[in-house]
Amino acid sequence: MAPLLQARGITKRFGGLTAVSDVSFEIEKGSIVGLIGPNGAGKTTFFNMITGLYTPSDGDMIFNGQRINGTKPSEVTKLGIGRTFQNIRLFAHMTALENVLVGQHCRMHTGLLGTLFRTPSMRAEEKAARQKAFALLEYVGLGRNSADEMAKNLPYGDQRRLEVARALATDPKLLLLDEPTAGMNPKETDALTELIYRVRDERDLTVLLIEHDMKVVMGISERVTVLDRGIKISEGLPREVQTDPKVVEAYLGTGHAAKGKGGGAPVFDKA
Amino acid sequence: MPNTKRYLTTGGVGFAVGTFFLWNYPNLGLGAALLGGLVIAALCLLYSAPLPDMIKAGLIAGMFGAVMTIVYGTHKPGVAIIAGMLSGLGAGLLAFQRSPQANPKKAAILGAEAGAIAGAWTGLALFVMAFVIAPAAGISAGDFAEHLSETVILADTLGLGSDILILLFAFGFSTLTGALLGAAACAARSLPLRPNIPLLAVIALPVLLIPLIDRAGNLLLLDALIPIYIFILLALGLNIVVGYAGLLDLGYAAFFAIGAYTTAMLSSPHLGINLSFWLVIWVAAAVAAIAGLTLGAPTLPLRGDYLAIVTLGFGEIVPILFRSLGGGPPGGTLTLRFFGMPIGIEQVDLTGGNKGINPISPPHLPLIGDFEPSNKIPWYYLLIVIMGLAIFFINRLRDSRQGRAWMAMREDELAADAMGINVVRTKLLAFSMGAMFSGFGGAFYGAFIGAIFPSSFDFSVSIILLCMVILGGLGNMTGVIVGGLLIQGADKMFIPKGAELFRRIAETKARAEDTSTVGVSALQDLTQQRLLLFGIVLVVMMLVRPEGLLPNERRKAELHPDDDTINSNSVAAEAEADPSLAA
Ligand SMILES: Nc1ncnc2c1ncn2[C@@H]1O[C@H](COP(=O)(O)OP(=O)(O)O)[C@@H](O)[C@H]1O
Ligand SMILES: [Mg+2]
Repeated sequence: MAPLLQARGITKRFGGLTAVSDVSFEIEKGSIVGLIGPNGAGKTTFFNMITGLYTPSDGDMIFNGQRINGTKPSEVTKLGIGRTFQNIRLFAHMTALENVLVGQHCRMHTGLLGTLFRTPSMRAEEKAARQKAFALLEYVGLGRNSADEMAKNLPYGDQRRLEVARALATDPKLLLLDEPTAGMNPKETDALTELIYRVRDERDLTVLLIEHDMKVVMGISERVTVLDRGIKISEGLPREVQTDPKVVEAYLGTGHAAKGKGGGAPVFDKA
Repeated sequence: MPNTKRYLTTGGVGFAVGTFFLWNYPNLGLGAALLGGLVIAALCLLYSAPLPDMIKAGLIAGMFGAVMTIVYGTHKPGVAIIAGMLSGLGAGLLAFQRSPQANPKKAAILGAEAGAIAGAWTGLALFVMAFVIAPAAGISAGDFAEHLSETVILADTLGLGSDILILLFAFGFSTLTGALLGAAACAARSLPLRPNIPLLAVIALPVLLIPLIDRAGNLLLLDALIPIYIFILLALGLNIVVGYAGLLDLGYAAFFAIGAYTTAMLSSPHLGINLSFWLVIWVAAAVAAIAGLTLGAPTLPLRGDYLAIVTLGFGEIVPILFRSLGGGPPGGTLTLRFFGMPIGIEQVDLTGGNKGINPISPPHLPLIGDFEPSNKIPWYYLLIVIMGLAIFFINRLRDSRQGRAWMAMREDELAADAMGINVVRTKLLAFSMGAMFSGFGGAFYGAFIGAIFPSSFDFSVSIILLCMVILGGLGNMTGVIVGGLLIQGADKMFIPKGAELFRRIAETKARAEDTSTVGVSALQDLTQQRLLLFGIVLVVMMLVRPEGLLPNERRKAELHPDDDTINSNSVAAEAEADPSLAA
């Protein structure tokens, strides 16, 4: 079976800095893949090239058999790639429900005239969208009383969940999660990990996950790819990667080993 | 009391600003300026004072009623009736805003109390008028009361003989109507309906009654109200662009001009095209919407300050363009060079240059005939219909897929893009929809004034509109309407009428003392003072209440960061925030 996403020799240069260098890898449909690496390794940059926020300097990004380099982010989303952001980027002054409704924007069809005259099809679509939004909020564990809360006022952990709900609302085939547990306390982390398990198990989705918390990555991923300074240094099953000397060195080399989260060495991080 | 300092600052700032501004007014003089400053200070204080909401709402709304009664009173005491109604309604809504009630009965009581206080305030102003201000302006209390009884028709028919009885009757009437409207407004607001038809009916009632009372009392209020409403219509359109979509547009008056000029060119003897207003208003809106697209397209990559500068330029260019399309001498030719070859173009006077286009044909309806400049009532109702439709459709836009896309783009353009929103389309739609509503406004304006000049659409118009939107509350239509009423009311009603009143007082005094009236200058060009006022309003609002008077609930939290609880974890996350996306 052809892979869902295929990166071929992807490179991204910012002036003199090569943030991602000749990275090739594939994601099989239905799998969960972890993308790890020390801070500044180029993981987010790689994500941004998948979602169209950056255009690769070199190489091809192929999604579902279609080349998507240089495609606008909104078009990429329409093709079926949904994402969350490392630093939360919710629509802060819209309600949780509205955030999820915005996620459904590209799957809705009502045009200007339909809106102005509130045609039956517009009403039906709007009603279905709201129902779906409520269902998604519930699915990620945000109750009905969070729906009318402004995103900005939600607790931090709930904001992360809301971002997942918003990404799911775009009906993605491929879900990209950029450090979904960053900044969370252990309890929130556990809850979110559990949510990712459920997304994998219950929805027909492929997940690419950037994560610093090794417990999360190793537990959840079927395969792991490791970036260091823009270069893919290792790839394979979590267990293999964990013991790969190159990976251990990359993590130790950054001097974050003792800190655990935010660049901790996989081997030593048993927290 | 922990907030004493805040109250003192608010009151002090209000007083200083009010006095300074009013003192700048050529006709007012220092005494009047101090008085005005006190009123403004009192309003500021009331707003933040620790009084029960009901009393506070009544006093604040009543203050407007009282000031309106006083500035119009010498000529038109009957204004008190409208002022009482409106302040009662305002008090009810304000009271509800501050302490919402789910129980309609309780809400009605709250509204009745607030409305009665407001109405009584307004009625009280009549006594002040009769015994203090009218005599100072050369009208005896008796004449004032008589004049009052002519407009308060009921008082006349009841044959109330004495002045005091007439005043008391008007006082009671104002209190009662205030209480009734306040109660009705509050009760309607407490109903969990969407759309809330009873509330709309309660608000519509005085709005629809105004022309009739106006005619009965010969108050001539519509002359001021119609331009005020036109500006509110424009502000509602601007609110789409600035409030919903978050695109700072400093040249919005250009679309107003385009709507008005389209109407003028298609519906006047000037070019010999004389289409019906009912057709032209749609054409004007369409042309304005297309102009919105045309402006929007080159500004797509721009954000914030850069966008503001480009729109500002557009706002300057459009009136200049209309000025220069006026052509040269009749039959003259304009010579252009095309690769060195001279090409003569016959110059056509499209826009009348500086002289503008005059006259513009009025609308025509079967039963009414041509709308006459002298009879403002059909104009008023036509404008109400246009505004009603505008509010209705803008509401629909906001609560839709399109409206959510605007707001998402305002909140975070990059995230909106990544969530599948076509940012280009969304921006262009905001520009063209915003422009479209000012096209309607421009068409009505052209037909109503009957003549247009390029100078009516300069930069200050864009700024006034922006002030209205910001004062009321970005992104909230009710707020925009309230902000518009306040700024435009001050601009077109309170200040000019106040200046007139003080001029009369000064003249009366001069006559009594047999000194010359030299130095009591006539009303001068107000432009400078107006701009000063708007500048001050903007600065003060940004300092005291950046979210506007009636903030969109969604924006409130952002602008007072110290008020909301920040989860300590989010600080950690921000520290780890990724540099590439932080911009
Ligand atoms: N837009 C940009 N301009 C310049 N440098 C960038 C940009 N985006 C990312 N970088 C740089 O690319 C490198 C990789 O960053 P990033 O992909 O965010 O790393 P990670 O997500 O793995 O921590 C960093 O050195 C970062 O500073
Ligand atoms: Mg990153």
